[in-house]
Amino acid sequence: MLEIKELTTKVNEKSILNGVNLNIKAGEVHAIMGPNGSGKSTLANVLSGKDGYEISGSIKFNGENLTEVSIEERAQKGIFLAFQYPLEIPGVNTNNFLKTSLNTVRKARGEKELDTLTFLKLVKEKCLELGVDEKFLSRQLNVGFSGGEKKKNEILQMKLLEPKLSVLDETDSGLDIDALRIVADGVNSSKTKNNAFLIITHYQRLLDYIKPDFVHVLSKGRIVKTGNSELAQELEKSGYANL
Amino acid sequence: MNQNYEFNIENIKNISLEEIKSRQNSFKLFKEKGFPNKRLEEWKFTDLNKIINDNFKELNFNNVEKENKNIELIKDFEHNSIVLVNGFLKSKNFKYENEENIIISEYKNIQKKDKNESINSLIDLNNAFFVGGFFLEISRDYKFDRPLVVYNYFSNNLKDTIVNNKNSIILNENSNLDLIEYNLDISKSNFIHNNYTNITISKNASLKNYAIQGCKSSCFYYKFIKSKLDTNSNYEDYIFLSGLKFSRTEEDIDIEGEHANCVVQSALFLDLESHQEVKTNLNHLKPNCKSYQKIKNVLNKKCKSAYQGKIFVKDIAQKTDAYQLSKALLLDDSSEFNAKPELEIYADDVKCSHGSTSGSVNEDSIYYLMTRGISRKNAIDLLTKAFLFEIANSISNVEIKNFVEKNMDRQIYGH
Repeated sequence: MLEIKELTTKVNEKSILNGVNLNIKAGEVHAIMGPNGSGKSTLANVLSGKDGYEISGSIKFNGENLTEVSIEERAQKGIFLAFQYPLEIPGVNTNNFLKTSLNTVRKARGEKELDTLTFLKLVKEKCLELGVDEKFLSRQLNVGFSGGEKKKNEILQMKLLEPKLSVLDETDSGLDIDALRIVADGVNSSKTKNNAFLIITHYQRLLDYIKPDFVHVLSKGRIVKTGNSELAQELEKSGYANL
Repeated sequence: MNQNYEFNIENIKNISLEEIKSRQNSFKLFKEKGFPNKRLEEWKFTDLNKIINDNFKELNFNNVEKENKNIELIKDFEHNSIVLVNGFLKSKNFKYENEENIIISEYKNIQKKDKNESINSLIDLNNAFFVGGFFLEISRDYKFDRPLVVYNYFSNNLKDTIVNNKNSIILNENSNLDLIEYNLDISKSNFIHNNYTNITISKNASLKNYAIQGCKSSCFYYKFIKSKLDTNSNYEDYIFLSGLKFSRTEEDIDIEGEHANCVVQSALFLDLESHQEVKTNLNHLKPNCKSYQKIKNVLNKKCKSAYQGKIFVKDIAQKTDAYQLSKALLLDDSSEFNAKPELEIYADDVKCSHGSTSGSVNEDSIYYLMTRGISRKNAIDLLTKAFLFEIANSISNVEIKNFVEKNMDRQIYGH
């Protein structure tokens, strides 16, 4: 599904990623761990298409070269980024935002746009599945949401948009155990053999709930080690210093 | 420009000799000063004289008698209505109210004190030539059941014409009214509407006033509102005049009783070289009163807007709580927003704050929305709407709020 070859990125002449290679197949869950400043969030941003990076190497998504594809087209093609710090957008009603987003993506996929009632039914179902209060929908997008609520909102969006590849950028940071479980359940219940997940995290904690097929360690802009879920436990004990 | 100054004041019907004299005097004052220009501090952001010279070849004073015109009324909510055509009161309908409690008539010089107040040259001009407008008085303890919509309709024969009229609104003790001024016109050519409105809000009374522009318009709109607030009264004015080529709303508000509350809010979307301004003079003359002003403008394509907000706090007006904020969102670099806050405070135990920001749309917000499949253009539209809807959202009457939002959508997207 996703093939990254020799990906390097620079911001203002400063190298951040120094040749990342990564293959993700449908049905797989990958985790990327690594110390602060190793380039984890940069990788997530680059996958989403964020401007401001000088890029070389290749990123292919289902065989298509992504480097020239705009942010919104990537989303329409099925790449989803759950933000580490979801933006607060005053004045934008959460429900309207979700509907606009879903209908734009559906339209791009050649599906019929949902009318208000059908959408409302769907979004309420998803809220129930996630254990998220419906009241949430009538509020302004992320405004005054707690850290946990913001992350739950990201997962709700993920569930609605049904992306092929979901990139979760430190979705676990700042979450209490209950919120962590909701996020993990959201991911686990969305897993199919046709989609894939890339979970970026500092800690092994989230991986107790979402079992990854592969764990990669990113350090100084390279993947220095790849293993199975046991690698995450090892890292938790020994830290990143020995790598 | 050839200003048709020879227009005869004597042509105005049913006025006394004394009134003719006073009007002639006002006209003299206007002629001495001319239209306001940049040299005046209060007009430093707006050279109205130049704007008028650039847009009008000549200027005639309107004396067009009322036209019989059927106007399409708002269907979104039940309401009472009065209709003004080219500034003249044409019809009224108070079917949701007990009419005994309402006095409505064409504006006459009923209140002597309104006359001849020479505040600026536009008001002098208004004093000299005003015809039409309405007088509205609500009895003590009467609370309107439904809102009142004032339809300001202008016909298509107003080319190079100036319409001067006056309104007067009096709310007696403990009365209550939601008033929507809804401007509509079918004029394809430039005209000026110069209005002076006098508002008196007595003890415990509440007036919520909404100025809404219902269509794109070639009108150059000037409105001066003089209001007086008595003890424990409430006055809220909302300005949604996007669509006008030029507008300037001036408010001179005297808070004359304790525990009164005053709100002025505006949300404007300016497009295609339009120019809009709000200027307020909020005079806190008694203790324990609150005022709140919030101005939000979005500017696109060579537009200009300004907010001049003055808060005056008299020495005895302790415990005043006055707030003002203006925010502008500039969608390109061809537009200009000016803010001039002024605080003049003579009391020592008050809370007064002011702030002003202007900037472009937040790129991080655009990025976030784009990662959800939304195009850059739609993201900017969404954020523009969100920026302005904050003001609409603060309207407590849901029907009016929805109507304002629908209008804003039209003002932003042109449909």
